[in-house]
Amino acid sequence: MGQIDDDKREGKEAMKKLRNERKQFIKAAAVKMKEQKKVIKAIKEQIKDNPGTVPEIAEGTGIQTSEVLWYLASLKKFGQIVEGEKDGAYFRYELVETEQEEAA
Amino acid sequence: MSNNTMKFDTVVVGGGIAGLQAALDLADQDFKVVIVEKDASIGGKMIRLAKVFPTLDCASCITTPKMSAAAHHDNITIFTYCELKALENAGSGITAEVRQKPRFVDETKCIGCRQCEYNCPVYVSDEEQGGFNARKAIYVPFSTAIPQLALMDVENCTLCGKCAKVCPTDAVDYFQEPKDFVIEAKTAIVSTGFELTPLENKQQYGEGNIPNVISALQMERLLAPHGPYNRVLRPSDGMEPDSIAYIQCAGSRDKSMGVPYCSRVCCMYAIKQAMLLSGALPLADIAIYYMDIRAFGKGYEQFYQNSIAMGIEFIKGKVATIDAGENGTVKLHYEAQGNGGGVNIAEHDLVVLSLGMVAGWNPEGVCPVSTGSDAFIETVKPKIAPTLTDMDGVFVAGVAAGPKDIVDTIVEAGAAAMEASKYMVAMARTSKAAA
Repeated sequence: MGQIDDDKREGKEAMKKLRNERKQFIKAAAVKMKEQKKVIKAIKEQIKDNPGTVPEIAEGTGIQTSEVLWYLASLKKFGQIVEGEKDGAYFRYELVETEQEEAA
Repeated sequence: MSNNTMKFDTVVVGGGIAGLQAALDLADQDFKVVIVEKDASIGGKMIRLAKVFPTLDCASCITTPKMSAAAHHDNITIFTYCELKALENAGSGITAEVRQKPRFVDETKCIGCRQCEYNCPVYVSDEEQGGFNARKAIYVPFSTAIPQLALMDVENCTLCGKCAKVCPTDAVDYFQEPKDFVIEAKTAIVSTGFELTPLENKQQYGEGNIPNVISALQMERLLAPHGPYNRVLRPSDGMEPDSIAYIQCAGSRDKSMGVPYCSRVCCMYAIKQAMLLSGALPLADIAIYYMDIRAFGKGYEQFYQNSIAMGIEFIKGKVATIDAGENGTVKLHYEAQGNGGGVNIAEHDLVVLSLGMVAGWNPEGVCPVSTGSDAFIETVKPKIAPTLTDMDGVFVAGVAAGPKDIVDTIVEAGAAAMEASKYMVAMARTSKAAA
């Protein structure tokens, strides 16, 4: 039991040291992550009820079209949204069912 | 021999198609080969392509069997994610000093399930997909990567611990350190490949700042079945483009960019991509702005003629400048050499720069092998033995020696393997005679 506690303590200490060594990276990545969460939430909110095209989502969220597409492509890759019907020269994007339930 | 020194017959520097072919050719003759690769996966540029000219074979379908054959060959050892610190021949054989960078994932435990990637909360622009979508801070490089192992990008990691928590095999190791080791070999094959001329180097073409102006390798990703959008879309707004243009010699035959030579593949890859685009977007207009078309290989002229028959428009004229038009279009200013000539302006939805090839590796400070004025590895007998360098026992294969296509690369890799084999057989004969 004592050995397990010692190992845990050592692990925590090592992690603390590592966090300190990488604090610049961690800080920058945390800021980026926070911003990304906000954008993803806004995009998901926008297509929660009605699938949208990139320009429609951009207009609704105030996010640049190129950035909207980058997020849509990324969320599609990780299985959170799917491409829907084509509308003119654009495709519509919608939440996958589980994401829709979470957003609701 | 210390425990961080390993002995092989041949060390192959670079695990692209040239290195893989040379390694396989030697390994099949029972030589022990080690491949040292800088990226996290072998396969080089070829595995990142959609299809290849002039056969239009799927690039992954013909590259992955070679990658897999090398990875599973009893006589081949592969080290990925490495930095070559030194490559020398002091007279007694080749010595290579290598540093393997930490993946922060235990290679012996990772099963490539990508649970870490799915659960990581940080999105990072994925260079493997032309920057058009994201990977995570911990990721498997791409779906056909060999080895299928995750790696962590510490600059984008918050150390939140989610990856370690979800990993079913406890493979995440935040404390991994680089590993240094030495390879001793009888011969070396340099197959370090190429990079594209940087998009940012040409002020007249917008230095990479004009929306919807992309490189040919980015277009390869848009055309690939596992591409970022799974179809061809305009990166600025997701529109399916109606009009696509290629600008030839955008990074070659251009002294202002320091690349006066012809890169030898741009005409053919532009024609190939144009043909693939006309299949993906049957209603789109596709134009290629060119100085002259160089279709020199077997079946290449026919391939070019087929593209004309398919309706690809070839416009003879050098594009002088490009700038952003209305609604995401791109304006090309060019002087036409046909149809009455004159300075013209054309607008397209998407423009692809046919960038050239520059050397992928600068040996300065690492290896005393000479390079030519074009920065590629110097070949001392370019006509009758094109894989010989000015270092004893060191051979060169593929684009490391100068721009060439995949067919020529494969042939040259076989030739380099044969030169290395010949060298080692002669070595063995000499030492046997001396004994």
